[in-house]
Amino acid sequence: MPATAGPKASAPGATLYRMYVLSLATCLVGNLLVRLGARAGWLPAWAQVTLGVISALPLAAAAILFWRLLRRDLDEMLQRIVLEGLAFGLIVYVPLAGLYVNLRTSGAWTPRLDPPDILLAPAVLVAIGMALAWRRYQ
Amino acid sequence: MRNSLPLLRAALGWSQADLAGQLGVSRQTVNALERGKYDPSLPLAFKIARLFDRTIEDIFHPDGETA
Repeated sequence: MPATAGPKASAPGATLYRMYVLSLATCLVGNLLVRLGARAGWLPAWAQVTLGVISALPLAAAAILFWRLLRRDLDEMLQRIVLEGLAFGLIVYVPLAGLYVNLRTSGAWTPRLDPPDILLAPAVLVAIGMALAWRRYQ
Repeated sequence: MRNSLPLLRAALGWSQADLAGQLGVSRQTVNALERGKYDPSLPLAFKIARLFDRTIEDIFHPDGETA
């Protein structure tokens, strides 16, 4: 029988997720360089801002690619898994962030979170959400 | 939702990958459909019905109903 090629799906949204992790890594490297440069004084203020903006650009590109891949390359179940992962990430992140802010404000012990931690937390939560959704449908 | 997808596919000697190719979805989606873990959208259900030359009701059976 003739078999047309279906959407590639070694794992649900794996390409999308890799793309985002790579973009996040670029952004974090930029963040690290800005902080190191500012601390050591070898990076002028204008260069810190420029580097900060440039290193965040891949995330904007990833967002556009994400939208295209989600709509065109994934079938309906894989779209659902990715969207459920995103929903899980948002639903869990918001109360956790609220709790963290309130505990920190009240002076209770909280782990010190750097900007990289704050950037990575939603990505990790989305990955957990996608893994849970993937398990549910298999 | 239960379905007769595995029987219909086997009758034609197709693999899950073959069926996935015909429907334009991933093999994982066909697997989830056959195991009743995922209910297809209406357009996909129609596509499946057309492919096997059956009605949707012939293929998909709500839980609790006999085939």
